[in-house]
Amino acid sequence: MKKVLLSLAFLSTMAMLQLNAGEQFAMSDADRAMYSEMLENNPAEIYVEEGGEIFEEALGGEEALAKFLEVSEKNLPKYIAGFPRYIAKLGNVVGIDQVLQAMQVSQGKEKTKLKSGKMFSMLAYVKSLANDELLNIDINADEHIKASYDLGKTTYMTARGGRGLSCNSCHSADIVGQVLRTQPLPDLGEVAVAGTWPAYRMTKSSLRTTQRRFQGCMKNALLKVIPIGSKEMIALEVYVTTLAQAKNKKIAIPGLKR
Amino acid sequence: MAEARKSMIKFKPKKFKVGDTIKVDFIVIHPMETGTKKDKKTGNIKPAHYIDSITFSLDGKPFTTMKVWETVSTNPYFSVNMKVPGKGKVTVDYTDNTGEKNTKSKKLKPKG
Amino acid sequence: MKRRNFIKGFCAASAVAATMTPSILLAKDAPKNANVLTIDAAMSAITGGKAVTDSAKVSLTVPEIAENGAVVPVKVHVESPMTEADYVKAIHVLASKNGNARCADVMLTPLNAKGYFATRVKLGGTQDVVALVELSDGSFLRAAKPVKVTIGGCG
Repeated sequence: MKKVLLSLAFLSTMAMLQLNAGEQFAMSDADRAMYSEMLENNPAEIYVEEGGEIFEEALGGEEALAKFLEVSEKNLPKYIAGFPRYIAKLGNVVGIDQVLQAMQVSQGKEKTKLKSGKMFSMLAYVKSLANDELLNIDINADEHIKASYDLGKTTYMTARGGRGLSCNSCHSADIVGQVLRTQPLPDLGEVAVAGTWPAYRMTKSSLRTTQRRFQGCMKNALLKVIPIGSKEMIALEVYVTTLAQAKNKKIAIPGLKR
Repeated sequence: MAEARKSMIKFKPKKFKVGDTIKVDFIVIHPMETGTKKDKKTGNIKPAHYIDSITFSLDGKPFTTMKVWETVSTNPYFSVNMKVPGKGKVTVDYTDNTGEKNTKSKKLKPKG
Repeated sequence: MKRRNFIKGFCAASAVAATMTPSILLAKDAPKNANVLTIDAAMSAITGGKAVTDSAKVSLTVPEIAENGAVVPVKVHVESPMTEADYVKAIHVLASKNGNARCADVMLTPLNAKGYFATRVKLGGTQDVVALVELSDGSFLRAAKPVKVTIGGCG
């Protein structure tokens, strides 16, 4: 039933008014240049710097992180670019923020909440250590990451909620570029969501993470929001990362978004 | 003294000589509340809270002053140019409408 | 270029306005406050009624279409020798339809070496951004550009 409704909705919208200037909402090259120039003075850099200070003082910095992850400091950036990962001693596929929490526990300290400004800043800082590295999740590294990838893909493709929408409904290859609420729908791989979040969101005037951005989208699409740090949310992050990976995208933190 | 607010001064390009004209960029974390927006939780109007004046000085001597209004973006950015006379220190002093004063400095280190 | 169809009602939230209220009100809703001036009053307050000339010497760079009204980049560059005898005394950035039309008043000196100022402003809706420039000889120049502000998007 839902599938039928979906295609009906589709057909009716296709028949709707065509924007005469299809370029009406497209950014001109000049505009694009102005916005990319803003990246050079991104307020999020201040949050990232602050995250670095907290990370250093409270957790012991890169040295402690490399030791915890059992990699050399030299290989740390490339290793970070392969997150979310299966970490054997944690028994789960986890994101960087969860690794930081595990570090805190191992140091006998109180865990910083995943959904806190402090954690967002630390996450952004640690991820920025991998700037310029290619995203490199190896989905065949072990059965756990493979399962996470499969779960992520399923989550991405599953139509649910009041309008029977899935992530794919708006972000599939044949839909991207169409305008929804004045904004052209993006190809999540092409815009390198995985490489450019955490980012400064201009409409929120704050540093936002990938998972929170996913939640925002889910809310608007009438999909029940998936909790931050949950198995499904991490799986979704794994899948969306592979979309950017397939296009050889690199990490560039912090990003700057609408 | 630890700064109350977080901010950054950047020089562009990073490497420059005496006599070069560089860009002096200043970003600061500040709500720049207009005083016309409602708090979603309480329903009350959030009081106006914004940076209203900025002074850029070189070794204590002001070379640019700004009057800023609540219409400037949150976590604002300001950029001007400066001809580098030699080694020195650039200081940005800023005040907001509550009277809160802050300052940030950066050493000017020209090569050659 | 992909065909752009307006997918109406595909996304949940009812009115765009509900989720994306501009943080500043447009002129007609502006609270009455002596400090809050609309564009004509603001321009008069700055120039003292003096003549203002539209000039190509003032380059004003703003996006044609602003992705959001909260952070709109503005760049002003005035051709000027920036010497003690002839320099840009002040660059005033204004927004034609904001409740408070004034954004920033920047007083420069010859040490700036360039008649340049950049910032990011809030625009309550589609309107003109105006650069009003005062030169050291007391004359005023002006440049204005329209910015279309899109308030939308999902999430």
